[in-house]
This record gives sequence, C-alpha cells and structure tokens, in this order.
Amino acid sequence: MDLDALKADLEKDFLEINSQEVLNILKVKYLGKKGHISELSKNIKNLSKKDRPEFGKTIGELRKLCEEKIFAAQEQIEVNSINESLEKERIDITLPGSYKSQGKLHPLTVTTLKITDFFSAQGYLIEDGPEIESAYYNFDALNIPLDHPARDMHDTFYLDNGDLLRTHTSPVQIRAIEKRGAPLKIICPGKVYRSDADKTHTPMFHQIEGLVISENVNFGHLKNEIMTFIDFLFGPDTKVRFRPSYFPFTEPSAEVDIMDKKTKQWLEIMGCGLVHPNVIDMAGLDPNQFSGFAFGMGIERMAKLLYEIEDMRSLFTNDIKFLSQ
Amino acid sequence: MKILYSRLLETINSKLKIENLCDDLTMIGIEVDGIESFQGDKVIDFDLTPNRGDCFSVRGLARDYCAFKNQKFSTSRSVPFKGRHKFEKSIRLSAADACSAYSAISISNLKIKKKFPENIKKSLNASGIQSIHPLVDIVNFVMLESGQPMHVFDQDKINGNIEVRFAKPKETIKILGEKELKLTSDCLVIADEKEPIAFAGISGGLKHSVSKKTKNFIIESAFFSPSIIKGKARMYGFQTDASQRFERGVDFELHEEALKDVISIIQDIFESDISKIETKKNKYFPKKKIIGISLKDIEQKLGMPIKETTLLSILKRLEIKLLKKTKSTFNFEVPSHRFDLSIKEDLIEEIARMIGYDNLSQIKSDPVSQNYETSEYNFLNAIKVFMKNKGFLEVINYSFLDAKVLENLNIVEESISLKNPLNNSLSTLRTSLLPSLAESLEFNLNREQNYLKLFEIGKTFSKKNPKESLNLAALLFDSEKMKNWNSSQNLDFYHLKGIIEDLATEFRLSDLSWKKTTNDLLHPYASADIFQKNKKIGSVGSLNPRYLKTMDLAKPFYYLELKIDSLHRKNLEKLVSSSIYPTSQRDFSFEVDKDISYEEIENCIRSASESYLQSLRIFDVYAGKNIAQDKKSIAFRITWGSNKKTLSEDDINNETSLIISGLEKELNAILR
Repeated sequence: MDLDALKADLEKDFLEINSQEVLNILKVKYLGKKGHISELSKNIKNLSKKDRPEFGKTIGELRKLCEEKIFAAQEQIEVNSINESLEKERIDITLPGSYKSQGKLHPLTVTTLKITDFFSAQGYLIEDGPEIESAYYNFDALNIPLDHPARDMHDTFYLDNGDLLRTHTSPVQIRAIEKRGAPLKIICPGKVYRSDADKTHTPMFHQIEGLVISENVNFGHLKNEIMTFIDFLFGPDTKVRFRPSYFPFTEPSAEVDIMDKKTKQWLEIMGCGLVHPNVIDMAGLDPNQFSGFAFGMGIERMAKLLYEIEDMRSLFTNDIKFLSQ
Repeated sequence: MKILYSRLLETINSKLKIENLCDDLTMIGIEVDGIESFQGDKVIDFDLTPNRGDCFSVRGLARDYCAFKNQKFSTSRSVPFKGRHKFEKSIRLSAADACSAYSAISISNLKIKKKFPENIKKSLNASGIQSIHPLVDIVNFVMLESGQPMHVFDQDKINGNIEVRFAKPKETIKILGEKELKLTSDCLVIADEKEPIAFAGISGGLKHSVSKKTKNFIIESAFFSPSIIKGKARMYGFQTDASQRFERGVDFELHEEALKDVISIIQDIFESDISKIETKKNKYFPKKKIIGISLKDIEQKLGMPIKETTLLSILKRLEIKLLKKTKSTFNFEVPSHRFDLSIKEDLIEEIARMIGYDNLSQIKSDPVSQNYETSEYNFLNAIKVFMKNKGFLEVINYSFLDAKVLENLNIVEESISLKNPLNNSLSTLRTSLLPSLAESLEFNLNREQNYLKLFEIGKTFSKKNPKESLNLAALLFDSEKMKNWNSSQNLDFYHLKGIIEDLATEFRLSDLSWKKTTNDLLHPYASADIFQKNKKIGSVGSLNPRYLKTMDLAKPFYYLELKIDSLHRKNLEKLVSSSIYPTSQRDFSFEVDKDISYEEIENCIRSASESYLQSLRIFDVYAGKNIAQDKKSIAFRITWGSNKKTLSEDDINNETSLIISGLEKELNAILR
C-alpha cells in the first residue's frame, strides 16, 4: 500500500464512528504493531538515503493525523454517550416542586414591618406595653381626666377590677418615658381595643405610635418626620396636608391627610402633634426643659390603603384563601 | 352637629360653594363628616372635636371662619328689651361655681299674630330637632344660632321659687323621654320648693315641661360650669343638645344676650306679656383667662419665627385681646367663648391654625440621635418569618371570645371577662390561643379547605401573674393525608417537634427537654410538654379526641403553643474548626421492646461509648411484619471521629462492641 492510498483509507474510515468498538478496531488497524502505518514504515529500508528523511517525515505526519482522528473520535463518542444518557434522564419540569413550604405573613404584620423598618432605620427603638392597662396610663397620664369628653371618643372595654383594654398605644409613651427618660425616640406597634363594630371598625385593631422627646423639638421636626415617612410608604409624589385637630395629649394637634391617587379624595391617615406639657410633666420630666412630638396611625387603615382592602373585617376572619393571596 | 348650609352662608355673608366652604373649615380644624341634600338646601354634618365648644352653633362656626379669612364678623346684637313687669319668682344660686349666672323670663297671654316662620322649623329639622311647641322651637332655634341652650317650663306646675342646687339624697327626676334617673349628689338640678324640675344643663323634667295646654311659661338661660356637666349625661347613657354644648363650654357672657334674641323672635310672631329679665349672678362667675406668651415661645414650638405684627393681628381676629406688653411677654385675654385656651401652647396652636399648618416650615434635622438597641420585637418578628418559611400561614384572631368556648375546653379558670363586652361571643379574654386557631380551622374547613398550616402570635390573659403572656401557636391539619406527588412527609407530631427543634437551633434556645404532657387539651400519650431548664414553656401534640365533638371536628389536629416572651436565648458561641482527620460511620439495627423510648436508647449508647462518638442519627423505626408483636426495630448511624488522629479499625471495633453489649445488657436489645 502506498502512502496516498493509506491516507485516503484513513480519511474514509474515520468519517463516521459511532461506537467504542469500531474505534478500538481502527486503533489496531492503523496504529497497532502490525497496523498499516507500522507496516508501511518498514518500507523505509528500501529507499535511498536521500529519500529516507522525506519518507520518514510523511509517515510521522500520517501517524500524527491518525492520533488526532482517534482523539477526536474518542471525544465524540463520549459526548454522544452523555447525550444519550441525558435523554434517558428527562423529567417533566412542569410538575410542581416537591414540597411547597412557603407560608405567608398576615397583611397587618407585613404592613407593621414596613412601618417599623422605616422608623428603626431612623433610630427609633421599638417598644411595647401591656394590653390590659390601668385608667391612669390609658387616660389620666395622657391628659384625659375622668370627665373629659374625649373619653367619649374611646369606647372602652372595662374589666371588673377597673382596669381596661388599652384603647390606643399611647400609654406606651408614658411607660417608655418613665422607664428611659429623655432624650427618647420610640415607636410602639400593638393591638388596641374599642367597643365598636361595623364595616370600618373592629373591636380589636392595631395602632402604631411614635414619640420623640428632647430639648427643643418643634413642629417643623414633626412635619419633616411625617413627610419623609409618607414619601417612603406611599411614594414621593403623594399629596399631603396637615390640618388642625384635637387630642388631649398633644398641643398643637394635627391630622394628616393624603390625596388618594385614584379617587382624588383626601384620606385621613394619622394624628400627630407636639406633646402636651401636662403629659411631659405627668411622665416625670420638666416641660420647660423638654418638648416632643408624637404621632399615631391605624395599621388596618395603612394595610387597607396598601392592599386596597374593601372590608376591614376580612382582616380578622382568617380565610386562608384571602390570606394566602 | 348638623347645620343648614344656607344659614351659615347668610351669617358669614358669602356666596361660597359648599365644597370650598367645607374645605376651608376643614383646614382650620372643623371637620365635615358629610353633606346631605335637604328641602332644596344642604345640611352639613360637622364632627366637632371636644375642645371646640365655641363652634357648636351657626354663629360660632361663622366667627372662626371669618377669623381665618380675616373677614369682618358682625354679631348682630339683639334689640334692647324692657319688660313691663317684674319676674315674680325669686332665683337662688346654691351650687357655688356649678351655676354662677342664671337668667329667666316669664311669658303669658301668648297670642299668635302671624304664621310661625318656616325657616325656624327648617333649621330645627335640618339639625334633627323635633318641633314641639312654638316657644320651645324658638328657644332651640336660638340655641342652634348662638350656642346657648335654654329651657322652657310650664310656670303653673312650678311650686314657689326656683333654686339651682345639687341633688339631695335619693332624689330622682323623670326627664323628657320618660326616663327616670336616680340622681347622685354631684348632679346639678333646677328645683322648685318641692322637687327637681330640671337636670341642669342636660334635660328638663317631664312633669314641668310645656304642653299645648300650657298658659304661662318660664324660659331659663343660664351658665353651667362645664366641669359639672361633663360626663353626667353619659353616666346615664344618653346625651342631649344641651349637655353636648354645656360640657364643652358655652360662652359665659351669652346667656342674657340669647334670651334677648328669644324675646325679639317671640315679639315678632306673638302678642304676649313678657316679664323683665331676671338675672342672678354669684361671686363664682368666671373671669376671662390671661395667657402670657413670648415670640421666642412661639418660635421654639413652631420652629419658625413669627413677627409681632402677625401675632397681634392673628389673635385680634380671634377676639383674643392684648392686655399688656412687657419687654418680651405679651399678656392676652381669652374671650369668654374659648374654654379650650388656657396655656401658651393653646395660643401657639391658634397661631398655627390661622397661618395654616401647611404653611409651617419643615425642618430637616433629627432632634434625637439614639443608641441602637435590639428590641424584643425583632425577636418576635424573626419568629414570624421563621414560621412563614416553615410553611405556616399567619392568622390574627380577636383576643376575646365566648366564655362558653373556654368552659367547654376546661380552660376558663382564672380567665378575665370584660365588664361591657360587645356581645357574649366576645366576652372573655383568651387563656390559650387554641380556641382561636381551632375557630380559624373550622371556618376554613367549612370552605372546602382540608389542608391547613396556621400560626398565630398573640397574647393570652390570666388573673394569675403575669397577667399577659405572649404565645406562639401553630396548628396542622391534613384531613386527607394529602401527600405531595413526590414526598412522603407526614404532617404529625414529629413534624411539629422538628419545627420546635429548628426554632431552638435558629434562636439558640438551650436546654430544651420533652416530657409526657399534662395539658388536658392534648392527647395524653401522643403529646409532650416542653421545658426549658425546669420551666414549662409550652406543649405540642394532637388534640385530645374528647374535644372533637365540642369543636365539631371529624379528625384531630396537631398543635403547639409556646410562651415566647420568657425564652432564654444563648449568646453567639465560638465557632470551632472541623477536625482535619476523617470520620468513620457505621449503621446499626436493633430489635427492642416496644415500650423502650428513643431517649433511653440514646442515653444507653452515649454512656456505653468510651470516646470519639460524634453523632447519632436515627433513620428508621419499624414495627410490624418480621418483627415480634411486642418489639420494634430501630436503626441508626453512628459517626466517630477525633481531632487528634485518624481512628483505626480497632478503635471503631472497640466502640462498636461497647455499644452493642451496652444495649444488650441495659435494654435487652438484639442486634439484627
């Protein structure tokens, strides 16, 4: 066999190799001890000294070519075999995951977290207090004496011993001042209770209340804090207005409204004001030295705005279809 | 308070659109609750804050509006009146400051000379006041206009002279509306020589009220101190137009003026014989309050400077008179209609109100910088997120429920009930979260849900100390053993126990132990109480089947409840590098008596092993086929290792034989 014929055979044999067996046979056929290339190279002794190097070089190239072909074929066979087994391992990727383990937080918790996260980042401490309160902390210490008409605004649940279920989170303000003194910056989320039930009222609901006490706290600080918060919660293009209101524990007092982006109606979202000097005094600080601001909002109302909930009561029926949305 | 739009417009002398009028009023703190159409006119329903008694009338609203708009407000002073004869009864004020001024007139020979004005009736109707008798209607109309409540008596039913005094022991009065009230000694009454004829400032007595037959009338107009009226009507469970006004404060200079207004309307409509106005005042009659304030005070609170001229002009518009100006302090006199102004902060609010809250500056600096401190609240929220990630849906239930529910579950002891619940089903504070979660379960079962994983974090209440305990409760219910197509995990006791163990790992709760439960709500042999050190912190297990019927359930649920407000959490611990030497593992399977607990087996293995034991993991528990009836098979994998050397085959064989012989000797176990 001459060189050219061998090369042509080689090219032809390696055109299509689909198994390891065929490749093994070809390896022996060309590179084996008695393979074509070895056999052919024996011819060198029949050549003249002058032709020998040329022949040797050609044989070398042929051997190299053959080795490359084998290597490439080997690679191809492995790839083919992986591809084949991959096909066999095909699964139905449209089946649902084995174990759906994600629950859900209640919308009120999500809303509360949104709000507390904001204020925590502003350096507020999160405080809580008891839900069973004394009339002192719930009313008297907040400048709401027994005969005050403002007690009318709070339909209070009483216990037999004269204690009550707190009607707002404001008692926590007093407890926090008593415990920590001033300066102070706290936010208090929690459950509150009023004997009221209709489409917009539930006998238990949630409030969140903030209090800042220091020297020289003024209405400008309060406005800034509220505006920053509203930007965060409802977006920076929210229209806001402050209007005068009345709470026994703040003076001046304000109500904050935001403009509903859809209905273009003003919505009341929170009450706030500068802490009344009587409250500061009763909590044991000097109102001539310390001033402060406080603000409070209903979490249900916030959740209602954020989630566009229609009926407040649906927050407490615990329908899992509703909650797992 | 409902007021006719047209009356308000006329009084402020304006043609303002109702929306604009209401917006303006809202921005000065007079909240509008609603607007209704009324006989071709409109009625505005105001939601007045309790401090603004001065706005409880058409003129009061107009006065505040005009001050805001810097517009002249003309109080049309009534025509002077001179009666022809003296008021015949004597008036005695015996209740000190509770009533320091009382005026009255008597009227007789009343004859109508022209049709009773429709506008008076319309105003009354719009405000929800029933038309009763022409004189009563006129008195009520003047009240709506001026804010001064007055009362008309049937003179012939009054025995002798009039006294304003506190109620005597056991005195009662039947008021309009047929209600009999037992009066207490702090109730102020108007009395004749025999009995109370009116509950002062709140309601007239039925017996002495006017009727169609009344011939001779007495009209009273008085100043009652807000502190004596406050809360009184509410104490008896009602309120009246008079009580609402008097408890907030009615202008103490108004009673005579209002009476003159009444007289001029009567004279316009009727021929009549009206007495001179009899007025009694005592030494307790209020003086106008004086408040001192400086420009610095105002700047300190508002955070922006106010000019002296601005201050003076604003307060003047509000009829707040400058009495005296010293170097830095201004002394202002509060008008008789503003009961809500007594300290400088009150004046500062007035200034802010007139400037407009939206025009006050916003100051972008933080008045307090505080040290960071982690709050318990972060822990609570982390638990919520943990439970959510474990596949639980958070629910929130009311803190109160029906006492019967607690009774049926025998957990009513030491419970706290409300004195005035909304209804019986919300009468008692919960002592456990179980009934609430069971109720959520029932609600959802009735809506074709049969796979539930719920949790709630909330307080439970008890008369014992501590009164409040913050608990985590979780409920598992899987009525159809709904297996996932690709997993076979059971939602059972061990699932919940695993969650508590994970919780303990996540939050570094140390020293937890499990004991047979003493919680009667749970299955006595398939539930555990959880202890941290020696303190019981909760229980976990399945509902005791005896409560299935009570709860109307076909199958029990799995449940856990943990007190989370007193858990002990370890600090972060030092992290130790792993040993560089390889570990060795072997699997064992033993047959033991059914009654032997895993805990006993583990303790036995740990005490039998000499050293090197690193972990013990149980991977199978089996009873049934191929195992004797009173036996079970238990299989586990033990891992040994050392941080000093690679363990030899001999080391492992030695350990293995110690463990096998230990189990055989102590627990009669047989290696399978």
